[in-house]
Formats: sequence, C-alpha cells, structure tokens
Amino acid sequence: MIAPTEMRPAKLGIRHLTHRFMIGTPPAPLTVLQDIDLDIARGEFVCLIGESGCGKSTLLRMMAGLLTPSEGQVLHDGVAVRGINHKIGFVFQQDAVFPWLTVEQNVEYGPKSRGVPRAERQQLVAQWCESVGLSAFRKAYPRQLSGGMRKRVDLARAYANSPDVLLMDEPFAALDVQTKGVMQEAVLQLWANSGKTVVFVTHDLDEAVFLSDLVVVLSSRPGRVHSLVRSPLARPRNEATRVSDEFAAAKRALWTELQAARQQPAVQPA
Amino acid sequence: MNGWLRRWLRPSFLVGALSLLTVVGLYWFMALRPGTNPALVPAPPTIVTTFIEEIRSGDLLVNTMASLKRVVIGYVIGAGLALMLGALAGWFRWWGYILNPIIDALRPIPALAYIPLVIVWIGIGEPSRIIIIVLAVFKPVVVNARAGMQEVAQIYVDAARTLGASKWRVFMTVAIPSAIPYFIAGMRTGVSTGFLALVAAELIAAPSGLGFMIQNAGQYFRTDVTIVGIIVIGLLGALLDQIASRAGKSMTSWSEVRRDP
Repeated sequence: MIAPTEMRPAKLGIRHLTHRFMIGTPPAPLTVLQDIDLDIARGEFVCLIGESGCGKSTLLRMMAGLLTPSEGQVLHDGVAVRGINHKIGFVFQQDAVFPWLTVEQNVEYGPKSRGVPRAERQQLVAQWCESVGLSAFRKAYPRQLSGGMRKRVDLARAYANSPDVLLMDEPFAALDVQTKGVMQEAVLQLWANSGKTVVFVTHDLDEAVFLSDLVVVLSSRPGRVHSLVRSPLARPRNEATRVSDEFAAAKRALWTELQAARQQPAVQPA
Repeated sequence: MNGWLRRWLRPSFLVGALSLLTVVGLYWFMALRPGTNPALVPAPPTIVTTFIEEIRSGDLLVNTMASLKRVVIGYVIGAGLALMLGALAGWFRWWGYILNPIIDALRPIPALAYIPLVIVWIGIGEPSRIIIIVLAVFKPVVVNARAGMQEVAQIYVDAARTLGASKWRVFMTVAIPSAIPYFIAGMRTGVSTGFLALVAAELIAAPSGLGFMIQNAGQYFRTDVTIVGIIVIGLLGALLDQIASRAGKSMTSWSEVRRDP
C-alpha cells in the first residue's frame, strides 16, 4: 500500500465512501461501493480497474460531483466536493461531443461558459486543437469526423477548460485496437505536457499497464479497494514499451491482483 | 440538363404524375357526361380559364394576400409562444408543473371548437380570425417542443455541466439545439393546422381571403371559382410547408454527414 506523504499532498481524497442504489421492485438498497479510502497524488496518472459492475464508473462520477455518495466524501485539495465543479474535467465513455457545434466551438465551450475573454478563448482553442492534431478540422462538424477524431475533440474540450484534474471513464472503449493505441499515446502526451492529475477508468489491462503510475484494483459487489499496484515501467512510454518484457511482467502481476480481487469474499454491509 | 431529364424520367415522378393525371381525367370524364350541369361541375379548361380571369381581375391576389397575412401573423404568434412555453415546460421542473396541466387540458380540444366562443367574446373582426389560427398552430408546436426537450440526451447535459455551464446556459446551448428536430416537426404540423383553421376562420363572415372566396363563390354556384380557390390553398400550403422544412434543414445541417470527396 502506498500512503500519501507530506511531500505530495493528495489532489483527490476519498474518505469512507459508501454508495447504495435502490433497485428492483419493491426497491431494495444494493451496496455498489463500500468504505472506499483512497488518495490520489498531484500530477499522477491513476487507473481504476475492476470487473464490470464493481462501481468504478460510479466512483469516478462521484469525484466529478455528478453523483453524491450515500456516505463519506470526496476531497479536492482537501475541500469536500459538493455538486459539479468545473475544476474537475470529465471525458465520458459515450460520444459526448456536441454534434451541433463545430470542433472549435466544442473546444471553446468550457472557457465560454466560464466567461473567459474572447481573445484568450481563441488562443486556447488554437492551442488545444493543435495539441490533439485537429487544427485542420476546426470548422468541421463532429459527424464529419471518425470516432477517434471525435474523442480527440472531447479531450481538447476537457483540457481547454483548464481543469485541475481530469477524470476519464473508459473513453476509448468504443474504438478499434489501433485507434485505441494511438489515442493512449495522445493522452499520455497531453498528461506529460500539462502535468494535470488524471484518473482513468478502464477494464482493459493493457491500457491500465500502459498508461498508469498507479493502478487501483477494485473488487466487486460491493466495490472495495482490493490493492494498489505501482507501475514499474519507465517513462516516456511508446510502442516499444508495449512489447517489452517489463510490460508483460507488469501485466502478469496486475492480472494476478485482479484474480485475487475476484476471489475476495464479499462482505455484507452491516 | 441531363440531370433534369433523368429526374423527370424517374419512375417515382412518372408514375406519380400519371396517378395525378388519372384523377384529373376521371373528373373530366364525369364533367363531360351527358346530363351533368357544366355550371356545377366545370370541365378542366373552364377552371383554367377562370384561374386566368381571377388573376387578371386581381381578386385572386387580393384574397391570397389577405389569407397569407392572417396565416403568417397567426403562425408567428402561435408558433413563437408555443416554442417558448413548450421549451420551458419540457425542461425546467417548475415551469412543467405550471404549464403541463394547461397544455394537456388544451391538447384534446380541436381549435375550431373555440370558434363560437371567440365570436361571442371578441366578435367577428380580424382579431378573432387570427386568434383561431394562433390556437390551431399553438397546439402541435407546443406538444412537440415539450417532447423534444424531454428527450435531450443526459450525456450532453452532464458534459456541459462538468465544463462549467450554468443551468440557463445548458438550456440555451444544449437542450434547445438538441431539441430542434422536434421543433421543426411541430412547426411543420403547425403549418397544416394553421391552414385548416384559416379556411374555417374565413368561412365566418370574412370580407376577403381564400376561405371567403370559396365560400362566397359556392353561394353563387360558381363552382369553378371555388375549385380555383381550393387549388391556390393547396399550393400555398405546400409552399409554406416547403419553407418550414427548408428552414428546418438549414438549422439542423450539423446532423447531416457531409464528407469531402
């Protein structure tokens, strides 16, 4: 277990977080997340991994303030998250780019919402369209772009809003393998250049190993923190990383953890 | 040139034209049957002659403009109010609480049922005729606008809110644009219900208009003039529907896939 040290204060802290959904008829409470405690250090790339249904997306939505936990709290720089906070950016699994706006209007949306002056907005748009390689498509509508390009728009839109933390909920799950690989490198590039903390939910082991500094392995039903796995891989990472022995070893270690998490007996809430 | 020819030779066009001509032909056949009074069932050439006469005398233009003015004023007021109220009712919870019972109470009542009330309360002047059109246009537009706002995908709302958009900004820049296809559907239905109401409103003591023209001609057994009026109403309705549909398409051009070759 890696404890946060005084040198790297937690960017995001999760304290005794428990969440229940009411499901079925008659409605009965189902505990999806149980007593989660977690510290995410400033500037780290953290992946949340676990079986489907382990509540990893729910946890991420709580970090964004899109959902309120039944118990416990999420701390952002030590302050409890209440409601949606634009300092925390979110990239969704589904296609969330606004189809009625052009690429540049999408990227401009956040800064415009916050009342950033026009000149500064245009600079942000130019900068982030450039960063994701979409400068030639600034006037295009999302429907004219491929799935991978739309994800780039989504990333640019999130980064252009100058968030402090980026939360990504399986953003590349719908992409083909090759596009996915390219996008993973793009996201690492953005992360390295911006130094912003990223929390990335995935169920793809390769993705978690390739991207993360730290992998949080969640067990299922209810979701609990099973273990924290530090990545042994050096940075920067590239295509060579994927075929290295270290990568294979790291993936094997993570796989073992995931298996152990599955076998962890479910504790019934009191 | 080639494109035009090909378009005209398409089976859908050829068969469609043939189908329409058959109806005209059947009518013509009926009109020419012995024992049919040509004054009551005028043959197509008579109708064409009357059409030209009506244009020359200026009556047709006066009546068309009178109708057009009413329908446009009524439409703009009715559709404008309906879009505004429907959007509010479909999006903001408290506006919904306030407006939904009213919208749902009005919904099953045909606008023409208000005619007697409007006449008694407001009289038989121009305002009454416009109010009836407003009521007729309002209903389909408000129902569609509200439905469109209720169907907005949550993902776009969540995305906008995480980007820092206020509730009002989400309403204006997310909910309304994504509901536009519903707005267009409602506005197109509104054109036809507005036209229906126009004719009905002009049947009651109007001094001018296409509804007045067909009614008045009918009383003098000028069936040919009535038929000309009906044709013009049809053409005008089709024209307005085209305008509404074109306007809608240009507003939703983002939804069309246009890749450069």
